[in-house]
Order: sequence, then C-alpha cells, then structure tokens
Amino acid sequence: MDGSTLPAVAEELLREIKKAFQETSQGIDIFSSRLKFIFGPSAVPALDLVDQRSVTRLRAPSGRTLYQVLGSSGKLYTCYSSCHFCTCPAFGFSVLQKSESLLCKHILAVYLSRAMGACQELAVSEEQLTNILLAEEEDEG
Amino acid sequence: LCRGGLAERLCRLQNRERSAISFWRHQCISDDKIPSDKSGVLIVKILEIFEECTIQVAICQQLEQSPAALSPEDALINAEEPILKVLFTRETAAHLKSRPQDVIHIYPPWQKLLLQNSDVPVIMNTYFSQKVLLSEHSEAREKTYGLTKMLIKKNIISLAQTFRLDDLDDKLHQESSDNQVPCAPQTHNNSGSKQHPSALSAVNDSLLEMVESQGAVGWREVQVRVVIQRVYCLPAREGHRSHTQGNKPLLSNGGMFCRLCLLVQDAYGMFSEVQLQFLSSTDDIEQYCRRWEGKSYCLAGMKILQRTTRGRALGLFSLIDSLWPPVVPVKVPGQSQDSEMMTTNLPPPSFCYILTVQSGEIHVEVDEEEQISNLYQPPAVHGLKEILGINGCNERCSFWAQVLYRRLQSKHSVPVDQREMLLFVTDSTLQNVVHGIPKVVAVSVTASCVLSMEVTEALSAGSPLVFFKDALWGNGRIICVERTVLLLQKPLLCSAAGADLSELTGPVRLDELDSTTQANSICALRGTVVGVNESTAFSWPTCNRCGNGKLELCPQDRELLYCNQCSEVVTTPVLKMQLEVFLSCPSRSQSTVKVKVWHEMTLFVLLTMLLFLQTYEVQSVLGKEVGLLNCYVHSVTSHPNCVVLEEIVLL
Repeated sequence: MDGSTLPAVAEELLREIKKAFQETSQGIDIFSSRLKFIFGPSAVPALDLVDQRSVTRLRAPSGRTLYQVLGSSGKLYTCYSSCHFCTCPAFGFSVLQKSESLLCKHILAVYLSRAMGACQELAVSEEQLTNILLAEEEDEG
Repeated sequence: LCRGGLAERLCRLQNRERSAISFWRHQCISDDKIPSDKSGVLIVKILEIFEECTIQVAICQQLEQSPAALSPEDALINAEEPILKVLFTRETAAHLKSRPQDVIHIYPPWQKLLLQNSDVPVIMNTYFSQKVLLSEHSEAREKTYGLTKMLIKKNIISLAQTFRLDDLDDKLHQESSDNQVPCAPQTHNNSGSKQHPSALSAVNDSLLEMVESQGAVGWREVQVRVVIQRVYCLPAREGHRSHTQGNKPLLSNGGMFCRLCLLVQDAYGMFSEVQLQFLSSTDDIEQYCRRWEGKSYCLAGMKILQRTTRGRALGLFSLIDSLWPPVVPVKVPGQSQDSEMMTTNLPPPSFCYILTVQSGEIHVEVDEEEQISNLYQPPAVHGLKEILGINGCNERCSFWAQVLYRRLQSKHSVPVDQREMLLFVTDSTLQNVVHGIPKVVAVSVTASCVLSMEVTEALSAGSPLVFFKDALWGNGRIICVERTVLLLQKPLLCSAAGADLSELTGPVRLDELDSTTQANSICALRGTVVGVNESTAFSWPTCNRCGNGKLELCPQDRELLYCNQCSEVVTTPVLKMQLEVFLSCPSRSQSTVKVKVWHEMTLFVLLTMLLFLQTYEVQSVLGKEVGLLNCYVHSVTSHPNCVVLEEIVLL
C-alpha cells in the first residue's frame, strides 16, 4: 500500500475533536487518549498551550495568515498556515531531522485551538506580517 | 499545568493508562498464556509493516477465530477476510517485534477510527497487544528471528500535507482553502459562500457599499459600475520578484516592469485606484489610455488591497483633486436619488480604496463602442505660460510641449530609460513672449514616472512634441511623477484650449545668458575668447561607427585601435576634444564665463586645427568672436562671480 496513513489518522482525529467540541464542548476526554496515542509526548504540552490560550492567529488584509504560539518559556514561536512548519528547536530536531513526529507541540496546539475555537485573533498589516517572517529568518541565520 | 484544564485531565488519564499497561505486560510475561477472557479481543495477522514517524503501521487481516485451530498449511491469505490498518506505538512495536505473517491479539480498550476517504478502518490505542506463537517450530524460529534485525520501510511525511478541519463538500474550496480555514467552529461563512461563477448579482453603483459589505475576502459575484477617469502605469514594487529575472524589475528586452492601473469613480463620486495586470514599458501603454479613458466599466472579481488617506498618498490625492468637483451631479449616499438631491457641492474625498485583481490575471474588457460617460473629466490642457502662473502647490497640470534638450542624471549604473532626467521644453506661449518669463522650462522626470519605450526612444532622437498628462506643478517646478503619463499622440478628448499651442512658428530661441540665469537651465550666449584653460584640454579617439570613447589598443597590433562594443578594429577614429574657454559676454559682463566645449562646432573647429597641427598658439585664438552657442548651465556662483557652462546640441 502506498500513501501515508498517519496524517489521515491525525486529521480525522482532529476533526472528531472539533465536532465533539461543537456538540458538547466537553467531549474532549474521549479523544484525549487517542491524541496521546498518535501524538505521544506532544499531546499534554499542546493541550496545556490550548488551556492557556497561547495560540494567536495573525491575519493581514491580503488574506495571508500566520500563527504565533507563546511557548512555556515565554518565547513566541511562529507556525505557518500553508504547511507544517514551526520555528521552535523541537520541530527542527524531531520533525525535520529525525522524522520522529508529525508535528511539534506548537503546531498541534494550533490545530487543537482551531478545532476548539480557542484561537485568539489579531489583524495585522502586510508589513507587520512580513517583518515577523523575516525576523524568524534572521534568528535562524 | 492549568488546574482542571485539558492538559491536566489528559495527564491523569495517561498515568492511569500507563500503570494498566505495565501491569498487563507484566502479567503476559509471567503467565505466558493467552488470558482466558476473549471478549473484545481483536485477532489479526500481519501482512505488511511500515513506519511513519514513531508509529508502526501494520496492514493486517482480521481473523475470525484463533489461528491455533488452523494448521500452518492453511494459513494462506483469505481474500474475503477484512483488512485493517493497525497502529502500534514505538514501545509496543519494540515489545512485539512483529513480522509479516505473525498473529497478534489486541486486547481492549483498543479504538477504531474510520477515515473519510478510505475503506480500511484504523485500529489504535493498541497498548495491550500480544503476539501469539502458533507452534513450537515458530517459537524456535522466533528466537532466531529475534537475532536478525528486520528492515522496516519508513514513510517520510511531507510537511506540505496539512490537516483540514472543515467538511469538504465543495471541491473548489480544496484548492485554495489552505489559508482560509476559520478557527472558530461556529463560523460557517467560508463554506456557505460557494463560488457561482455564472450567477452574478445585479450591478451595483456604489464602491463604498460593496467594500463595506464584502470585507477583505473579495467580491466575486458582485459588480460595480464605474467610470474610468485615468489610465496610467505604476512602477512594479520589489515584492513581485517572481515575475522578474533576478532582483531588478527589468525585463530582458530592456523594458521596465510596471503595473497597469485605473483611477475609477462611481456614481457617488467616490474614487478608487484599481491595479490590473503587469506590463512592460515596451508594451503600448498609450493604447490603453486612448481606448479606455472616459468609458464605463463593471468592476468584478476585485480584492481590497488598502484603504489609504490623503495624508499618506499625496500623489494619488493630487490627481483626485484635479478631478474634483465632479462635472455632473453625483448621488448622495443614504438618500433617495431625486435629481434635487444630487449635487456637486461636496467636500473633496479624504480616503480612497486601492483594489487589485483577485487572483491570476484579469483582462479588462472595456466595451470600446461605449459612449464616453458624462462623469468623465478629461485633462485640462494649458499653455506653459499659464501653468507657470499657477499659485498653488501640488497641482496636476497637462500640457503639450516641444522637448529641446534632455539631460540624464549621471548615475551610470542605472539603465538609460530609468534614470531621472531633466527635459527642457517650450511651447508657443513661452516662445512668443518678449521678456518677463523664461523661453524654456525644465521639466523633471523622476524614476517613478513610467515612460513607454516609444517615448524614451523619441526623447533620445529628434525634437519630439510630447503631451504631458497630469504632471505636478509646485514650488516653481514642473515634475513628472507616478501617475503622470507622457504621450506622443494627441488624446482624443482634451479641452480645446491647448489645441494650437503646440505649433511653433519659428526656430526655437533660448534665453540669452544674463544676470538672471540660474544653474541647471539652458541658455544661449555669445562672446569673445579671452582665455583658454590649457590644463584641462585633452583629446581622445572615438569609434567612427558607434561613437565609443573608450577605445583600446589592439592586442595583436599595438599600433591599431580596437572598439570592444563593435568588436572590430577602428581604422578611422574620430578625434574628440574637450576644452574649456573663457569668454567675455556682453550680456553678463561682470562674470567670468567658462564654457566647456566638446562638440565639433564653431569654436571648436578652430582650436582643433591648432592642436592637431601641434602649433598650439593660444594667442591666435584670443579675441575671436564666438557666435550664438547653446549651453547648459552647470553652476552659477557669486563669489567668485562665475558661470560654468557646457556646450550642448539641441534635439
């Protein structure tokens, strides 16, 4: 069988969470253990970030979006909307280098926040969005 | 962790699960027997295994009964049996050490997940799994296998594969939905507003209403009827790198990259700047102006780029002001449109929306058969004399003029057609006056004014008649900036005042050098040679074909000259010379007049012969009369009282 399985499973799981949340706003417990199974050690920290409302969605007038997650250390990480990417070191290590995880806890927190309507919204200018993206590049370099 | 939060709850759940798992595993090892409670146990046979991240994915066949009853010979794959995808964590996989053909018992509480686009169910939370050994042979085999490492294929997951949390009932959303998924589950706007390319709602006549009701997403279905007041090109910004080669907005054909824009006005008098497709300056920009200005057009498929105000976009608003007040009464928003209510007595606009094409390229289809709209205000053409008399600042003005001389800024790194330049122009209103106003006016063309290739070529050769549309007048200067358009052909509609002004009735006359002459202007002079600056005199050979002044010595024959632009030997070079002469000019007798002469002209010819023959005798040149010489004034200083000029050739 070709094609990957894990992303489809993760996607379905998140959709179910979203649906459950819409219906009961409490049905999350049923999915907790599934989250743990699929996402392993990222699950609890991601939920913690959701609890703390750490995810903000930035939107520019052109429609371009970006997510920023306030990490536990107080550092702000940037996650892209159009692909899985996060500026945290764990992403670089676990996802990119070792392919050990699908996502880091920040990207998972973004998805969970979206599913549960816990994203903060912030409208920014095109310039501000660009500056955030470019600032990340400078840090890496 | 937050108290009572989701994370804390999962933590507690996890701890419970962990102890249950380790307890169970312990039990399996010590008992080494299949637990008697068979309800809820899933029995599977592994067919294929691969890894994704740290999860092991096993394609399995579900077995109805315990395979202990089957002999090894019967253990063929029965195609009727359902297929499952079973997921194992890294820990469980390490514990199981499963291989294809192994039979696994999975004890509850396992979980089943059904995927959207797949028939194969997924089994997860398989912590309580145990491999079943069929016989003694397999036990021995197991021990040998345990020593050899099995290679499991690892699937690398693409980062581009993101998760969609919405229901995918509209295929069109799939293509562009990556950035548009709303985060709050209650908002269904995106899935509600489906695209109906054919069903367009009624044509609206208010830009403001459309902008305010549709928001930033864009107006696909709505059309707004507007009048095209102006058509111009704006230089393309850095951000459009994908369209250009390298980092410069230059195209390989030498043209400059720019964007076609419209300034439109709706029935309420509100303006908007619409940015359309990208063009090159080699395209015929003039034809868009001619064909589209003044016509009505239905805007559709636009997106709001920006809302700008007077303070932030002075250039745009100076153009809008030149079109204010409207020539016909406009509607007043919020009131019934009786003809008494319509007015021209409104304050000039203080904000303007900048719109852009929604996606891809849009091809504006203006019905050229259409009549010119009543609302259209063509550019008001004036003579230069009148323009010089305008009192205001930042006023847009339009005029016809003959270009006499072009002076480029001296940066050689920038290509010719993108440098700032100074054009010296005149028209009959300036030429026919005796005194009081200058005969020639300098028009500054900045780099942000897009010039079509046609105009650039015309400016470098011949003395073209150019129509300057919407140039800016202020602080005693005329400048061509963004939104100014230079045209060679007469626009179809102009107020007739300027119709005949372009015709010059005689040869062009420049102002003579006098006490009012300023730097960066052109003038004519006459005088007597009183001195020659011998230290700055030099001559150099130039290529007779292309005029290249930087000839090199031929590598093969050091006696010959080589032009690397023509890639050929220059057999008959043209000798050019540069000389500075001091003149005494009766029109400005108090000043020392120094003229750099470097064209093959009057004064120069005399001196050429002298120098060439090596009988350089300044004495023979002194006192010679120099006829009317056209010059560009480099500088004028009062202490010392000196004017430095350079001889020029008019176009």
